[in-house]
Amino acid sequence: MQRIDLKAILQRTVSSTYGDLVTRPTGKAVRDGIQAALDDVDSEPVAVIDFSTVRLLDYSCADEIVGKLLLEQGGARAFLLQGVTASHCEAIEPVLQRHKLAAIARDREGRVRMLGHIPEAARKALSALTDRTEPGLPAGESAVFLPERTAKAMLRLLHSSSATTRDPADSPSAGTAE
Amino acid sequence: MTRVVNVPGSFDSRTFEQFAKACGDMTDDRLLFDAHATQWASPFGLVGLLAAGQWAAEHGPERPLLTVPSDRDVAHYWGRAGFFAHAADWYELHGKVPRVTPAYSSDVLLAITPVRGSDDVHGVVESVQERSAAILSSELGLEATATMGFAMALSEACQNIVEHAGTSGWVAVQAYHWRRRLGRRVVVIAVADAGIGFRRSLEATQANRFGDRWSDATALEAALFQGASRFRDPGRGQGLGGIARYVNRWSGKLAVRSGTARISIVPSWDDDQPLTEGLTPFPGSQVLMIVPAQEAQ
Repeated sequence: MQRIDLKAILQRTVSSTYGDLVTRPTGKAVRDGIQAALDDVDSEPVAVIDFSTVRLLDYSCADEIVGKLLLEQGGARAFLLQGVTASHCEAIEPVLQRHKLAAIARDREGRVRMLGHIPEAARKALSALTDRTEPGLPAGESAVFLPERTAKAMLRLLHSSSATTRDPADSPSAGTAE
Repeated sequence: MTRVVNVPGSFDSRTFEQFAKACGDMTDDRLLFDAHATQWASPFGLVGLLAAGQWAAEHGPERPLLTVPSDRDVAHYWGRAGFFAHAADWYELHGKVPRVTPAYSSDVLLAITPVRGSDDVHGVVESVQERSAAILSSELGLEATATMGFAMALSEACQNIVEHAGTSGWVAVQAYHWRRRLGRRVVVIAVADAGIGFRRSLEATQANRFGDRWSDATALEAALFQGASRFRDPGRGQGLGGIARYVNRWSGKLAVRSGTARISIVPSWDDDQPLTEGLTPFPGSQVLMIVPAQEAQ
C-alpha cells in the first residue's frame, strides 16, 4: 500500500520552511505532488494520504487536496486519510459534503471514521465493521469476522456511498484493516 | 484644497461609520486625516485607516496627510501594533512618529501585516499559531481544536484579500480585556483592504441570479450564507462559511463590511444588527472576528 506523506510533499513542492497546509495555491501544488507520486505506482489499488505530520489544514487546502483529488482519482483507486486530527476533519467534512463525496479516515489513535456525504445506513455499516475488534491484535489493527453475505452487503452499502472504496467483489469478506 | 477627516477619539468597529462618513468621497480633495486627538484605536480601526490611506493615495489628487496621535502612549501603541511601518507607504505623516519597532506582546499577537499573496498567508498563520495557542487555551478557555480553528479562520480571512480584493490588504490580531463591554478577554482578528469589494468581485457569477436586488448587501449574504464565489469551481466559496461556523461555535462575532453594507453574525453578548444597508460607501472589504473567553460552565 502506498503511503504519501503530505508534509514531505508540501516541503518538496512548495517550501521547505512551511509546515501548514493553507491556501489554494499550496493545496494545488501538493495535489500535483500527490498525483506525481501516484503516477509512479499506478498499479497500487489503495493509497494512504498521511496527515500525521501536518499541523494545520484550512478549507481551501482541504478542497484542493482532498476534494479535487477524490473527484479526479477516486474512481481509479481507494484512498485512506491517515493520521487525521479533529481539526483536519473540520476542514475536510464540509468539502466532502459540498462535493457529495465520502472518505474513510483514521485518526492518530487508530479510530476509523467516515467523513462526508454518507447515508446513515452506510455509516452504521462502517461502525459495525470497525467497532468489532478482536483481542490480541497489535495496536492500530482491527479485524472483523462476519458471515460472507453480511460482509458483502455492508461493503456494497459503503461502496455506494463513497468514491473512495473499491468494488466489493475485489474485497475480502473479512480481514484486517491495513 | 485640503479637507480634514477627523479620526474618532475612540476608533473601533463601532465608530467606523462615523469615520467612513467623514471620509466621504476621497477622490476630489487632498485629505488630512486628523488623529492627533485619538486616544484609542482597535486593530479594526488601524487597518481601516490604512485602507483609507491607500485608497486616497491611489485615487485622490495627492498623497493624503495624517497627523500622529499627540498622546505619547497612544502613538507608541500604534507603533508597537505596526501601524506606522505601513502608514508611511500611503500617508505623509505629521507629528512625532515614535521610534518603536512592531513587537509581539501579550496583547499584540500579530502586528499589522500586509497580505499580498499566498506566501504572506503562510507567514501570518505560522507566526500567530504558537503565540495564540497559549492565550486561546489558557486565557480564553478554548479547547485545543479551537486554537486550530482560529488559525484556519485567520487563513481564510487573509485569503479573501488575495483571491477577491484585486489589491493587497492588512491583517492584525490582538488580545485584550473588554472590561466595560463584556467583562471578559477577547481575541480579535481585523482584516481590511481597499480593493474592489464583494459586490464587484461576485458580480459576474452572481448578479443575474439576484436581478434588481443585486447590491452590496445581497453580495455579502450570498458570500456568507450561500458560499457564493466569483469562481465557477463548485469547491470555492467555503472560507467565509467556515469562519461563520467557527464563531458560532465559540459564541464569537463576525462582521463583514463592504461598500455600503455590513453583515454580522451577532452573538448574544453583542447588540449589532445582522444586516445594515445604506452605509456611506467605503472602499474594499473589512472583516472583524471576535472570539471571547468562554464562560465558566
